[in-house]
Amino acid sequence: MTATAARIILSLAIVGLTETAVLAYMVIDRVRLLSSGREITLPVVPVDPRDLFRREYARLSYEVGTVPVRLLEGPRPRTNAAFYVVLQKTPDGSWQAAKMTRAFPREPSPDRIVLKARTTYAWPGSGSSETAVRLRYGIESYFVPEGEGRKLEALAREKKLATLLAVDGEGNAAIKGLVVDGALQYEEPLF
Amino acid sequence: MSWYRHRVERDLARWQTAGWVSEAGASAIRAELATRRSALGVAPIFAMLGAVLFGCAVMSFVAAHWTAMSKLARLALLLACLWGCYGAAFSLFRRQLSAFAQAAVLGGIALYGASIMLIAQMYHMEGNPPDAVLMWALGALLAAVLVPSRPALAASFVPGVAWAVWERALAGVAHWEFLALWAAAAIAAAWLGWRPGLHLAAISLVIWLVPLGFFLLDHHAHWIIAAIGALTAVGAAAAGPAIDRRIAASAALFAYAIVVAFAGLYLLAFVDPLFERATDKSWTPQLVLLSFLTLVLLLAAMLWAVTSNNRGALWLAYGGFALEVFSLYVKTFGTLLNTSLFFFIAALMVSVLAWTAYQLHRRSPPAEITA
Repeated sequence: MTATAARIILSLAIVGLTETAVLAYMVIDRVRLLSSGREITLPVVPVDPRDLFRREYARLSYEVGTVPVRLLEGPRPRTNAAFYVVLQKTPDGSWQAAKMTRAFPREPSPDRIVLKARTTYAWPGSGSSETAVRLRYGIESYFVPEGEGRKLEALAREKKLATLLAVDGEGNAAIKGLVVDGALQYEEPLF
Repeated sequence: MSWYRHRVERDLARWQTAGWVSEAGASAIRAELATRRSALGVAPIFAMLGAVLFGCAVMSFVAAHWTAMSKLARLALLLACLWGCYGAAFSLFRRQLSAFAQAAVLGGIALYGASIMLIAQMYHMEGNPPDAVLMWALGALLAAVLVPSRPALAASFVPGVAWAVWERALAGVAHWEFLALWAAAAIAAAWLGWRPGLHLAAISLVIWLVPLGFFLLDHHAHWIIAAIGALTAVGAAAAGPAIDRRIAASAALFAYAIVVAFAGLYLLAFVDPLFERATDKSWTPQLVLLSFLTLVLLLAAMLWAVTSNNRGALWLAYGGFALEVFSLYVKTFGTLLNTSLFFFIAALMVSVLAWTAYQLHRRSPPAEITA
C-alpha cells in the first residue's frame, strides 16, 4: 500500500470511528439511563402530532410542564440553560412541582425527585407573581409507528395516558413506556 | 462555450485587427482554450446529488419507524451505511476517482447527521436540539480537515450556521460560541486553499453578524453592525494592496462588508421601528437621516467598486439601492408629499454626482499604461 493510500485509509477510519463513537455514546448513555434510572409515572396532557423532519410523533405535555414562578428559589436560570425542578409525590400517587433551583438540589426524600428542565421563556421580573413558566424536560416527544399518532392523541384526550419515565441521579429523564388506563402498553425495548 | 471563452474570442478579434496579436498567436490561444475542459464536470455533480439523495432515502427508511425492525437492527443498518460510504470513498480514492470518492465522503456525512436525528428519535431524546446540529457540524469539519474534503467543508457550514440560528432563537443570546466553530472552518478553507470555501465562510459570518444587533445591548444595536460593516469596507479599500499581497481577498471583503453595513442601516431604518412600543411618528427624522446615510454608503461603495473594478460590490450596491428605494417608497415619510421631497433631493444629489463624475472623466487624460 502506498503512503497516500495509508494516509487516506487512516483519515477515513478516524472520521468513521469518531462518528461511530458519538452515535454509540448517545445510545449507551440512553440505555444506562433507561435501565438504571428511578421509575416514575407522569400523567399526560396532549397537544398535537407530526414533526416535519421525523415523521409521526406525539407531542406530550405534562401538568408539571407549567410551573408558577414563585416556586423559584435563588437566582433566575438563563434562557434555555438547564436548571432543576423538584417534584413532590401527591397522596394520589401523582407528582407536583415543589420548587425550582439553578443549582442541583439535594433531595434525599423518597417522596421527592429532581428533574432537569429548560425554558425559552424570559423570566418575569418579580418572583411574587402568579405567572407560570412553561418548561421542557426532554420527555415531550414520543415517536410512534406511522398512523399511531392520532390513536395516542385520542387516548390522551380522554385523560387516560401517562408516561413511565426513568430518571437518573442528575435529573435526566427518559421515556420508558406509555401507560394507558393504568396499564403499561408501549414498553420501549432497550435495543 | 463558457462566458470566458466567449469574451476572449471577442477580444481576440479586436486585438488581431489592431495588430497586437499575430494570426499564429490567436490560433494558439484558441487551441489552448479548446483543450481546457470545464472544471465543473457533470458526473461529480450528479454523484454528489446522488449521495445526498441516498442519505435521504436511508433517513426516510428508518424514520418510517419500522416496528418490524428492532432498534439494534436499525442501528446496525445506519452504521453499516455510514461505514459503507467511507469504505466506498477509500476504494474510489485508490482508483483515482477522487470526485466520486468525495461524493461518498459527503454521503457519509449526510448519514452521520441522519443517524444522530434517528437515534434521538428511537430513544425519544429531546435534550437541547441545537447540540445535535453542532455534533453534525463537527463531524463534517473533522472529515473536511482529515480526508481532506472540500464538499465536507461546504457541508459543515450548513449545520454550523443552523446551530447558531437555532441556539439564538431558543436562548435569545448573541451566541459568541459560533465564532470558534466559524474560525475553525474558515482556517480549514484557507488551509485547503479553496476560494469558494472562503466565500461560504464569509456568507456564514454575514448570516451570523447581521441579526447580531437584536441580541446586543438594548436589542436595538444595529448601528454597531452598520459601523462594523462600514469600517471593514473602509479597511478593505484602504489596505487592499496589503491584503492582496497575502491573499487576493480585498475585493470580496469589501463587497461583504458593504452588505453588512447596508443590512445594519436597513434594519435600523425599517425593521427596528416595528419593535418600538410607541407608535408615534417621531422616528421620521431618524428615517430621513438613515436613508441619506444609506445613500451615501451605497454611492461611495459604487464609486469605489468602479474605481477598483469590483464587479461583485457594484452589483450588490445596485441591489441595495433598489431595495432601499423600494422600501422608502412603500414606507413613505409621513405624507406622500414629504416622500416626494425626499426623492427629489436624493435625485438632485445623484444627478450632481453624475455631472461631476462626467466632468472629471472628460478632463482627466487617459491613464498611462505602466509596465
